[in-house]
Amino acid sequence: MLPSPWPWLSQTAVPAVPNMTQEDQEPAVDVRSLVKHYGKVEALRGVDVRVGRGEMFALLGPNGAGKTTLFSILATLRAPTSGVARVLGRDVVAERDTIRREMGIVFQEPAIEQRLSGRENLFLMGLLYGLSMSGARRRAAEVLDQLGIADIADRRAQQLSGGQRRKLELARALVTDPHILFLDEATLGLDVDARRVFWGQVRGLAEAGRTVFFTTHYMEEAEVADRIALIDSGLIVALGTPRELKARLGGGIVSLTTEDDVRALAWLGEHGFKPEPGSRGIMLIHADPAAVLPELLRSLPVRVERVEVHAPSLEDVFLKLTGRGLEVGSKT
Amino acid sequence: MIRGIVAIVILDLKRFWMDRARLVAGLIQPLLYLFVLGAGIGASSKMGGADYRRFIFPGTMGLSMLFSATFAAITIVFDRQIGFFKAVLVAPIPRPAIAFGKIIAGALQALVQGVVLLPFAPLAGAALSPLEAVEMIGAMALAALTFASIGVGIACRFTSTTVFPIVSNAVLLPMFFLSGGLYPLRLAPEWMRVAAHFDPVAYGVDLMRGAVLGEFYFPVALSLAALALTIAVLAWAAVIVFNRGEDDSSLGAAKFNWRR
Repeated sequence: MLPSPWPWLSQTAVPAVPNMTQEDQEPAVDVRSLVKHYGKVEALRGVDVRVGRGEMFALLGPNGAGKTTLFSILATLRAPTSGVARVLGRDVVAERDTIRREMGIVFQEPAIEQRLSGRENLFLMGLLYGLSMSGARRRAAEVLDQLGIADIADRRAQQLSGGQRRKLELARALVTDPHILFLDEATLGLDVDARRVFWGQVRGLAEAGRTVFFTTHYMEEAEVADRIALIDSGLIVALGTPRELKARLGGGIVSLTTEDDVRALAWLGEHGFKPEPGSRGIMLIHADPAAVLPELLRSLPVRVERVEVHAPSLEDVFLKLTGRGLEVGSKT
Repeated sequence: MIRGIVAIVILDLKRFWMDRARLVAGLIQPLLYLFVLGAGIGASSKMGGADYRRFIFPGTMGLSMLFSATFAAITIVFDRQIGFFKAVLVAPIPRPAIAFGKIIAGALQALVQGVVLLPFAPLAGAALSPLEAVEMIGAMALAALTFASIGVGIACRFTSTTVFPIVSNAVLLPMFFLSGGLYPLRLAPEWMRVAAHFDPVAYGVDLMRGAVLGEFYFPVALSLAALALTIAVLAWAAVIVFNRGEDDSSLGAAKFNWRR
């Protein structure tokens, strides 16, 4: 029996869950005032995020926003300049050896040896995590079955398709049966179908009780998360469920393309509309687009070439909050 | 710790096995030294061709193992370049296990390369009795560990597979030339004899030469201590780098605030 973390309470008052320690009750990820500098570059400028146990959490932002830096700190690969980051109740610097045992990580870059088969890769990963030879072999087979890639497991990784290789990366991260799964831009370079399959599988893992923390700059990927943090220039600019974030804009979005956008914008300004700055074409956020649109189209002094009305997307939210699109400055 | 080392060693040996053609290619350089350079220089030296070949056999063995051990360490640089090394760094194994795993894997590869060269000993006039062969292999093993440490010590500082070979050659060749591999240190100018005392390759070559010829330049105990110290210092240097994780990179890691 472990000593009670609350010695002033009687034994019966301690929660009756076996082996429940204080760490088990802390959030899966707990980041407070996190700052990271690279020389003069401030990659993170005071980030606060808490992710609950079993939650699927997305960190969404453009390239260079600080996603990978935050990810690397949580993955114990970088140390914060200041502030605190805890994973599963443990400090990422002081207790990193303990955390490493309990997390699985999928990196942006391939982290499987391309010349070895998937099975060999998983076997070696099992050894690295302290399994015995036979234990590692058994675990590799289990994970391959679980992800439905046993049939391609004996081919060299370099002979597999991009989607299959990414599944193999996911399998590699699962070898240790982690409590928390970190994914950094895990679907970079995959086509839409392969991405959908991949996220379906990750969603399944989250529903089985694992905490999933992932970064992405594709908004449709972030939609599968329970909650999303929008990050820009090293700061969290918004945090909430996809629905909450989109509700922030209210109503709908009207996008217009006209023969003379400059004139149209001037006219809109004069007539009490507030076009969003920084967007391509003209973007209006309105509580009830259907009600105003017919009148608007009739009154505009320039010819409208295209009009589109849609419910707010995360892209729109990001645009509204930062004045920039998510894909702007994209490396790919 | 042990499992971590085993995992790293198995990983590297599996990759080495796929590159086994390297073993044959790795023979060319020492054989050139032994039978071409050795014949030329030997004919014009006081020792004479046959004695000179016998004399430089341990030296060319050292050369072959030195380059093979360092080349093995390039996996560290390559893995860092593609990202594979991150998966190793986030594994819950002690950082010394990563360093020692890499060193042992490199040493085994160098040792295999050396053993492939060993059958040429009689051709070089250095036929070994069974006891001498055992001594030789022991000396080779220790030299291999040292050379692999040199490889790991250099490689862990690099993230580019194009820069690493250039820099490592710039370090390895002087170490080899100073080691007395191709000439007796006894007859070398004083500054070279002094410099050789700071060259771990010299101790490794001297031990191997002792096994073949029965004569040592350095006291054996000094050689053993120097090699052990080299391995310890370079392994420790690699552990420091691995401890920094991604904060250590070509970006200038020393400036980053890693507080442990």
